[in-house]
Amino acid sequence: MVEKYDPQMKSYQLPTWLDELKQKLNHMDDAEVVELRMGTHASVHLLYIKTLIDHERLNEAIIQPLHRCAGNSLSSCITNAKVSEVTSIEEAQQKIMQGFILLNDSVNDQWLGVQLETTLGRAVESSQTETVIYGAKDSFSEQIDKNITMLRRRLPITTLKSESFTVGSLSKTKVVLLYIDGLTNPKFISYARKKIESVNFDQFLDSSQLAAFMEDHHHTVFPQFLQTDRPDACAYALGEGKLTLLVSNSPFALLAPITFFHLFQSPEDYFLRWTVASFLRLIRYGSFIVSLALIPFYVALTTFHYQMVPLPILFVLLESRSKLPFTPFVEGLSMIVTLEIIKEASLRMPTKTSQTLGVIGGIVIGQAAVEAGFASKILIVLMGISAIAFFLVPNYQMTKSMVLMQVSLLILASFLGLPGIVIGLIGILAHLHGLTSLGQPYFAPVAPFYGKEWIDLFIRGPLIWMRTRPDYLKPLRKWRQEMKK
Amino acid sequence: MKSLSLYNRTSTLGGIYFLLLVNRTQMHYFILIMPTFLVHSYMVWGIIVMGLLSQLNLMMLSKWFTSRYAAKGYQGFVQLFGKRTVQIFAILGFLILLPKISIITLGYVEMLHSFIYPSMNKNWLILMILLISLFVASHGMEKTLRFVVIAFLGGVWIVIMFIPFFFPPIANYRDLYPLIPTEWSEQSWRGLLFIWSALSGPVYLAFMVPWLSSNKKIMKYLVIGNMLSIMEYSFLFIASVLFYGSHYLSKINFPLVYMGSYIQTGGLERIDYILISFHMFTYVFDISILLLCFYGAGRIFMRKMNEQTTRIGLLSSWFVILISIIFMNHWLWQTVPGQKMLLNIQIWIGAFLYLLVPTILFTAVKRKESM
Amino acid sequence: MVPYKHYSLLAIACLMWMAGCSSPYVENNMIEEIAPVVFWSVDKGTEGKFKISTLVPPLIQEKKRLLTKEVDLLKQGGKEFNLIYNRELKQGQLRMVLINEELAKKGDIEKLVNTILVDPDISMRVYLLIVRGNFDEYINNQLTKQENQDYFLYRMLKHYEDHNQGEMSIVNIHQFMKKLYSPLEDPILPVFQSDKNNFNYVGTAFFRKDKEVMFIQNVEDEIFQLLGNDHFLKVLAIPKLSVSLGRVRSDVRMKLSRDYSSLSLHVGLNGRIEEYQGEKEIQSEEQLQHVIQEIEGYLEEQTSDLLKRMQRLKVDPLEVGTHSLKPFSKEITEKQWLKYWGNMKINVDYDIKIQPLNNVERLM
Repeated sequence: MVEKYDPQMKSYQLPTWLDELKQKLNHMDDAEVVELRMGTHASVHLLYIKTLIDHERLNEAIIQPLHRCAGNSLSSCITNAKVSEVTSIEEAQQKIMQGFILLNDSVNDQWLGVQLETTLGRAVESSQTETVIYGAKDSFSEQIDKNITMLRRRLPITTLKSESFTVGSLSKTKVVLLYIDGLTNPKFISYARKKIESVNFDQFLDSSQLAAFMEDHHHTVFPQFLQTDRPDACAYALGEGKLTLLVSNSPFALLAPITFFHLFQSPEDYFLRWTVASFLRLIRYGSFIVSLALIPFYVALTTFHYQMVPLPILFVLLESRSKLPFTPFVEGLSMIVTLEIIKEASLRMPTKTSQTLGVIGGIVIGQAAVEAGFASKILIVLMGISAIAFFLVPNYQMTKSMVLMQVSLLILASFLGLPGIVIGLIGILAHLHGLTSLGQPYFAPVAPFYGKEWIDLFIRGPLIWMRTRPDYLKPLRKWRQEMKK
Repeated sequence: MKSLSLYNRTSTLGGIYFLLLVNRTQMHYFILIMPTFLVHSYMVWGIIVMGLLSQLNLMMLSKWFTSRYAAKGYQGFVQLFGKRTVQIFAILGFLILLPKISIITLGYVEMLHSFIYPSMNKNWLILMILLISLFVASHGMEKTLRFVVIAFLGGVWIVIMFIPFFFPPIANYRDLYPLIPTEWSEQSWRGLLFIWSALSGPVYLAFMVPWLSSNKKIMKYLVIGNMLSIMEYSFLFIASVLFYGSHYLSKINFPLVYMGSYIQTGGLERIDYILISFHMFTYVFDISILLLCFYGAGRIFMRKMNEQTTRIGLLSSWFVILISIIFMNHWLWQTVPGQKMLLNIQIWIGAFLYLLVPTILFTAVKRKESM
Repeated sequence: MVPYKHYSLLAIACLMWMAGCSSPYVENNMIEEIAPVVFWSVDKGTEGKFKISTLVPPLIQEKKRLLTKEVDLLKQGGKEFNLIYNRELKQGQLRMVLINEELAKKGDIEKLVNTILVDPDISMRVYLLIVRGNFDEYINNQLTKQENQDYFLYRMLKHYEDHNQGEMSIVNIHQFMKKLYSPLEDPILPVFQSDKNNFNYVGTAFFRKDKEVMFIQNVEDEIFQLLGNDHFLKVLAIPKLSVSLGRVRSDVRMKLSRDYSSLSLHVGLNGRIEEYQGEKEIQSEEQLQHVIQEIEGYLEEQTSDLLKRMQRLKVDPLEVGTHSLKPFSKEITEKQWLKYWGNMKINVDYDIKIQPLNNVERLM
């Protein structure tokens, strides 16, 4: 062990860093220390982690120039890479782990860092989670810089600001907060900053984890940050006055503040004709209600309110239910759970297996369950409708949490029938109404009421009428149109 | 004892909320039994006349909304009347709110009970409704007031379901004759009183001014909200007269709900079950607002205005209400005379409050300003 | 906001307290355990009792049988059926109440109907039927011949109720009660004839209060459909003149004189001749006019007779009385109206317009 590092005296003890750093890099198989002998200088030590750096560029940018180097300082020799001075041993460690190459300049008695990390990553692919037929096909990847590039290309303005933060004691994840200066409400920005700075955790492997630390309500099933991997959606949100958070090693950006209704909007809404887009949106809300309430409604009807069923339907219902061993509640619950099992299984399986799974699931759930007398035909039909309806909601996180709501409504329906379902709905709505996203009301254009924003709520009105940015986002610049000069 | 901020405010609610609040607070239990009190088709003029009077009353109230005392909330009242008097008012309010909450809850539960669950123990229904109201109220005054939008959307479409009753063969327009009052009895006066009382809901808004914005334009919204209620009342009343005819109408206790059960669609019958269930939105909103008022009044007369609101406080006011409803149900509501008495109490209290509160506030403000 | 765990604690405490008092439900409406009854048939039993019967199991394809009981009270019957049959019989889907004509003539229907109305499970859309003859015998006989008798009977009534097809007077409980309570209208009910092999519509019964006082059938019933009930007839067959009119739509105008001493009834009929077996050459316009005049004369005569009978029996199913209502005057009482109605002079005038026949010689 070399002498203790003394921050007061750091510049005089620089050479001793070598030993200390070597010590730190002990038992790291991929850490290399190379000594270069060159003309004027005695020798230069290069320290790096070989799995993190680009070897070709190491050769090009450092080794060859250093061989030819005749000047006094090393930094003047290295011309085609960014060189920076390293002033503390903590920084040296940090940089080396970020793919820097450290070299000691014994003449000037300083350490230099050269950034030469490998650009390992995916190519820009099209989004798997939010596919659109029309519209841009690129999507974010795990490399944060590339992601920022995509956004900058869409918003080539100097007012698009990016602030960088590091979170996670182990993962040292880089978080970039993007907003448009002079448009986004500064309250959101400072609120977000405060939230990010207060994050205290070891690892952040995905942006959703960051969201979990930043959200206002931890126990709700509703996401308070919208995750998207579509740069166009991000750019649109930024332009409306929202914030975007990019997290390194996660292809999903976080958008906030959002409202409940954003979960039902797809980027494609803005690319289609407004009548078509509005129709699709209405269908989406409709299918949301159907997927939540259809099975509970069935249970309420068959358990309590047989009077509500028209005779021709009752005829079928009685016929198919009369020989079943389970109560409608158990029947409904077991089918919901089975469906979730199949959905979950097909998701985690390799593609080829999942096809088999689909077939088995279809037959087991559909035909066999009815034939064996475990479920009624009508329930299977309703189950199918509500299962497909689930997929119409564009937000995947929402789809997952909807099952929980469905089950809770089911339980209420089995206790109290229709009034139970309505009590459940009131509960859900009151809860939604109480939520906030980044301190802003979650149920926004409805309650608090912003009548003007209803044009882009349940329908997607013509773009030419959407001349202002949403009021509930309190943007500094209200008009989307530029003032004519 | 953990604290809980129920009466905080982050922003004031603007004009449109006045519209919805006025409308929704006028739309609870009384709308359901209204046709049985009015009976004759010419009483629709009664609705309109009372509605116009209520309009005047709201104008007076709007003067209060825009006064500088109102925006200060409790302190404003203290400045106007002095601490003692405010305390007495609070006790009065406490005593008035309790039967009001109880009667509207019991009325709704009665309907649930007689239509959907005839053999269920009513206490369960009371408990369920109060629990969900407590949940809504626990979000605090501001959010509960904002909940009115959801309550409005949850309940207003019900009126649309009654459109078919305006068309033959269900409707017979000669049932509307005579159009002018040909005879006038004590029953008719009672009908007028009933409407006046039914429209009295917005009186409670006078005590919620700190959360509402007090700019000059609210008057318009108050008037529109009231108009909307009048329209709904007369629409439903005319529909029920068309459907039953005056003679049969007087013999039915929940005419509008029975009409709901007459609506039949290909996929579903007995729509009344759905209508009754969704009417709960309005109730839950009303009960939670009144619950918060009740707790507020309690805090004033217990002289705890300067202390933090507590969970225990809210829960205990809730328990007081629950117990009062259950006992009221047990002792009074289940007998016909008891039910009549409670209903009459409610009608008279509502009518008096709607007459007195705006007048008192109006004159008090005028007097203070002239001093 | 109050954390959720406190709610649940509170809820559990309340639930336990209340569960101590009683359980929430005492009724079981689970769809597989009940047998929703589709019809009640009420007949006169011995010693002033009711004889009620229904078909079980309703709506399910199992072997059916007819349950019959003699009871003092209607509800008692429902209860006793439950003890006979393994599923619980429920009234929530009751669609038809068949009342024997003898019972209807005795006049106690109001109480019967009220019993049904009081039950919140039962919708007001229940059809009321008057049955002549023995319905039980018919159903019993049909059990083996046709499945789901009860269901198809309901479908038939529903078919004719929708869009007022002008074949039958279909009346539900609400319509019956509304007219019963209205001073200026009298209720009607359809009458079905039933014997061992047949169950068919025969005509309409008129009621004064809740007592059947008059019965019309055939042409009279058809005229009644045109005047009051449906204002439409698919076929108006007049055998006496060897002619059938088809798709007849009527436009009825009634005008009461100021002192209620006379009524002028103008009926405009719009339709076409669908069949003619008579002697006249209706291909010629002249002859056609003649036939039309004959029809008008015939209908006027029949209608006057019908109205005279109504006046004699003091029933007003055509709701003539409601024409006395005026926007700005007090309505007259039932007693007054019936006095006027009994002595009213009625002037009937038909105006038939026949849509052009295909093969007519035009007088052009």
